[in-house]
Amino acid sequence: MKKMIITGITLALIAAVAATALALINSVTAPKIAEYEAQVVINTLTEVASGYEIKDKIEVSDDISVKAYYPIHKEEVLEGYILSLVGNGYGGTFSLMASYLLDGSVIDARMLNNSETPGLGKKAEKAEYMDKFKETGSKDTPVPTKKGQLEADEADSIGGSTITFSAVGKTIETGSVYVAQKGGK
Amino acid sequence: MAENKIAIVSKGLFKENPVFILMLGLCPTLGVTTQVINALGMGVGVIFVLVFSNIFVSLLKNIIPPSVRIPSYIVIIAAFVTIVEMVMHAYAPSIYQSLGIFLPLIVVNCIILGRAEAFANKNTIVDSFLDAIGMGLGFTVAIILIALIREVFGSGTITLFAMGGFDGVIKIPLLYTYPVRIFTLAAGALLLMGYLKGFFEWFSKRKRG
Repeated sequence: MKKMIITGITLALIAAVAATALALINSVTAPKIAEYEAQVVINTLTEVASGYEIKDKIEVSDDISVKAYYPIHKEEVLEGYILSLVGNGYGGTFSLMASYLLDGSVIDARMLNNSETPGLGKKAEKAEYMDKFKETGSKDTPVPTKKGQLEADEADSIGGSTITFSAVGKTIETGSVYVAQKGGK
Repeated sequence: MAENKIAIVSKGLFKENPVFILMLGLCPTLGVTTQVINALGMGVGVIFVLVFSNIFVSLLKNIIPPSVRIPSYIVIIAAFVTIVEMVMHAYAPSIYQSLGIFLPLIVVNCIILGRAEAFANKNTIVDSFLDAIGMGLGFTVAIILIALIREVFGSGTITLFAMGGFDGVIKIPLLYTYPVRIFTLAAGALLLMGYLKGFFEWFSKRKRG
């Protein structure tokens, strides 16, 4: 009995010291991480806005994939939306930002936080990866969600990460449908 | 005495290289070696965790009850991995993003737990520190070598840190235009790993006579 108590206390002490050390490091790094994450969002919004004026963020609570949106204007006229989206990739959930015109056609998109495999699914973080989704999402040109829907050279650039590509395509497609259903409201 | 200390460090580099001889830590070895900078970041992370976990395991070896030694080692290792994760996220965010899931997975890297169990809990703090340096450097050199070959042949580039006007990417003429794509894929990593393992085995046998 005494041995068990000593063993338990030793393990608890090690865990307590580790937790205290982590709390201290977290207090130093957390503000820096928050600052970096905020800057990433600002930079991404600017990139996907493609010159449109970005209005205030509106939170969405009743959708699984769409977490928030930003109306985008040109000369004070509503032209489309930037959506903050969440999808499920090979390595778990990922977040991305995509901009759309009012009919749901894609202007641009960027992958943000993700756990995709380095060298494979991680390629989705590159701006040129999203080129294959640009100007899709209208009635005539659906958003590609399968490798077979791409041209040969575009399909090559995906390499072995077909699950990530399909997940990104489906998430962008969800956003496209969401924007088209809003109908500029 | 000094020769003994040098031997502790040097064995990790070649004789007991964790990647090519002991075949430990192969998941990150194959996973992150698509770019040299990823290998460098992973190597630095592993050295940091290995050094501090070895020191603390050696320091606490007489206090930790044998029945809970593995959970205790895991708590110590996980704490240092989380520290590396937080520091990299705050101060080297691009490497943090590139390493992705492999960074938290250092916790289950066999090299770290293997050295804690096989060396640090039986030896002095100084020897454990030297063992961690040797094994950490051996791992780092191995993954940088694999990453260098894979990136040069697979992408025609060498990706390092961006500094001033230098964007961090060295482009290799010809290979940049006509890369051997298989090197960037998992199959290429396994093939290369097999050839390098074969080379190390052949070289070790030759050295032993």
